[in-house]
Amino acid sequence: MKKMLLLTIPIFFFYFNPTSVFAADDQCYTCHSALEDKESKLFAGDIHFKKGISCSGCHGGDKSSEDNEVAMSKAKGFIGVPKGDKITEVCAKCHASEKMMKSFGSKLPINQYDNLINSAHGKSSTVSGTRIVQCTTCHTAHGIKSVKDPLSPVYATNIPKTCSKCHGDAAYMRNYNPSLAIDQYTKYLTSVHGMLNSKGDPKPAQCASCHGSHDIKPVKDIKSKVYPVNLPYTCSNCHSNKEYMAQYKIPTDQFEKYARSVHGKALLEKNDPGAPACNSCHGNHGAAPPGVESISQVCGTCHALNAELFSGSPHKAAFEKKGYPECETCHSNHEIVTATNKLLGVGKDAVCIRCHEDKSSNGYKSASMMRSLIDSLDNTKQSAIVLINEAEQKGMDVTEAKFKLRDINQVKLETRTQVHSFDPKKFKDIVDKGLVISADASADANHAIHEYYFRRVGLCVSFFLISLLVFGLYLYLRKIEKK
Amino acid sequence: MVKKYFTKTYEWLDERLDLTSLSHFIEKKYVPVHAHSIWYYFGGVSLFFFLIQVLTGILLLFYYKGSADLAFESIQFIMSKVEFGWLIRSIHAWAANLFILSVFIHMFSVFFEKSYRKPRELTWVTGVFLFFMTLAFGFSGYLLPWNKLAFFATKVGTDIAGNIPIVGNIMKGFLRGGDDVTGATLSRFFGFHVALFPGIFTILLVIHLIMVQRQGMSEPMETEGTPETEKKSMPFFPNFMLRDLLLWLIVLNVLAILAVFFPADLGEKADPFSSAPAGIKPEWYFLFMFQTLKYIPAKIFIMDGELLGILLFGFAGLLWVLVPFWDTQSSKGLRNRKINYIGLFAVGFIIVLTILGWVS
Repeated sequence: MKKMLLLTIPIFFFYFNPTSVFAADDQCYTCHSALEDKESKLFAGDIHFKKGISCSGCHGGDKSSEDNEVAMSKAKGFIGVPKGDKITEVCAKCHASEKMMKSFGSKLPINQYDNLINSAHGKSSTVSGTRIVQCTTCHTAHGIKSVKDPLSPVYATNIPKTCSKCHGDAAYMRNYNPSLAIDQYTKYLTSVHGMLNSKGDPKPAQCASCHGSHDIKPVKDIKSKVYPVNLPYTCSNCHSNKEYMAQYKIPTDQFEKYARSVHGKALLEKNDPGAPACNSCHGNHGAAPPGVESISQVCGTCHALNAELFSGSPHKAAFEKKGYPECETCHSNHEIVTATNKLLGVGKDAVCIRCHEDKSSNGYKSASMMRSLIDSLDNTKQSAIVLINEAEQKGMDVTEAKFKLRDINQVKLETRTQVHSFDPKKFKDIVDKGLVISADASADANHAIHEYYFRRVGLCVSFFLISLLVFGLYLYLRKIEKK
Repeated sequence: MVKKYFTKTYEWLDERLDLTSLSHFIEKKYVPVHAHSIWYYFGGVSLFFFLIQVLTGILLLFYYKGSADLAFESIQFIMSKVEFGWLIRSIHAWAANLFILSVFIHMFSVFFEKSYRKPRELTWVTGVFLFFMTLAFGFSGYLLPWNKLAFFATKVGTDIAGNIPIVGNIMKGFLRGGDDVTGATLSRFFGFHVALFPGIFTILLVIHLIMVQRQGMSEPMETEGTPETEKKSMPFFPNFMLRDLLLWLIVLNVLAILAVFFPADLGEKADPFSSAPAGIKPEWYFLFMFQTLKYIPAKIFIMDGELLGILLFGFAGLLWVLVPFWDTQSSKGLRNRKINYIGLFAVGFIIVLTILGWVS
């Protein structure tokens, strides 16, 4: 009797409660909301509740039974509060089933579970023995909102904070990946993306835009969206989309240009993960366009010698005075092509002439001289190649001469670096070194060609002498055999 | 004056070495002359090639370094830096091939002439062992440049040896100096090639030559019944020897032409971690065996095909060594056509399979 009375109280209350429209025959909700527990309060705003899913959808049991013991009996499949990996498996029961999802009219993908268990977060934690992240870690448990709902922790503007709960917690991260930085969120807030996001703009990139959501892989994983070779494509998803980027009034041809650049070709065509991707210059979590002053620092991270030589050159002060961005002025930014001799000098395609137009100026004369020096190195190298090829076609061994060709290439590389000092004397010293090696390689090839003819002449001589001996022997044999 | 010193020296040596009896032996030595006399010269040509191999081999030894780190580079050095190094190595490589070809011809000419018949059974047996030794020289010498082709060919070759029943694995391990072809294999192949094999070869060759000299040149069966007065012959010295020399000089000319126009190449240095080049084949003298093993199905009844092939070749080799002992008819002076058919089959088989292996 007492039991009956207890049950009637909540039923009475919830009969007049508007939310009970969904829960008219959901005894779990009826009782728990009557108890005014935190879970049932949250659940009232949960998307699942709105879709008519009962507590028993996740916790099991019999939602139609008014009897507490029957409703939450193991016989009726009651599992209580799922723990560890059970949580994700409970969600997957519906979210990995096409049939179930269709029955609720959902168009959500059904691969989240597979993606999660194969992701960096899906690995077993050494601390708890279960997966590092469960669905509820990001989506919460009883108050799950649609991802499009600004109240959802996985809504675009909330994601950075949600992720940083773990990723900004040094003590927590130490358990899983102590080598991973924990300042991503702080950096993100300083980035252009982060600043716009924190102002409530959901369009700029947040964590999930680059790393993915359920399918997050470690950065070193080739399948990761932020693996160097994949990164430019990830950035271009937004940055090459004219419509998407329209309101930000920035160009959308960066990827196109980058793909044509020496960096882009190395990364995207040769799959060289060491080649710079977008983040190498712009940063990743703190992504921002480098300012005029910082360009040489950014480029100098890899091109250290060039940057150092430039800093010691007369151009440094001149560029600063004019407000020219250092490297970009001559090499451009996204579309940096392989530097050829054409860039140097006073010719049509040269960059020096853009400033040093006056033929009587030192700049004009130096540029012109440096160009003729590098051209002469190329010409002697070309002559050496022709000779080496000729010797090789004659079947001679020219391995050593070919090694010298490599040395010439090395010298050429040095000239490419030294050019940033804009010092004609230093430049000439290096070119002279290359000219000596070129002459050496040509001499080797010439020697091989000479040797080729010497062998043939030697063969003719030996053939003649041996044949003479054969003939003499033949005559002698005829003579003695006649007897 | 010179003649006086020469005579004195001769007399001094004669007192000690009995040179007179040797010169009498040479003076009395005659070589039969008949329609098939030309085949006699291949023994001499083979000997000439062997001498060239010894001489050029010693010269190569001055610079060659038998270790995995240095072998390839040392040959590169011989080919590019050592005066006439390219010529010595090219002659060594070409003479090796022609040596084997010449030994093949010599052996088959002896077979078809049935010159192995009594009393020359042991001359044949030593000859066949010399033939096996030339193949062993070829196999061991091929690895010494330590290039990619040689490395993988040795791998395949020693793998095949490993399939021999019972002793196969031990033999493979012994040849390789471990589980795989490594620097240890190169070291022992080098040892085989320049010390062990030349030693054995020289002993066999001396026995072979002594027997040839003691027994004289074999005559064809057809002329055996001809009265001595009607038989044609020529003195061994100087006629036959000078003819031999004439042929040797022609061979030397051919070798020089081959060495200048087709110098031995070196290829790429062996890299044990790289994959084997596609369609890898052994040298031409092993090609017929290699191709036969390729044609044999993987399984014949319950037996492994490759194993069966090895056993068959082993059995054929044994029969070949023992020819004089099972061809009793020829020894009795009776014509044995079966021997001709077997010989023709063997020659045809080797040529056809070699061509098939070459073009495949």
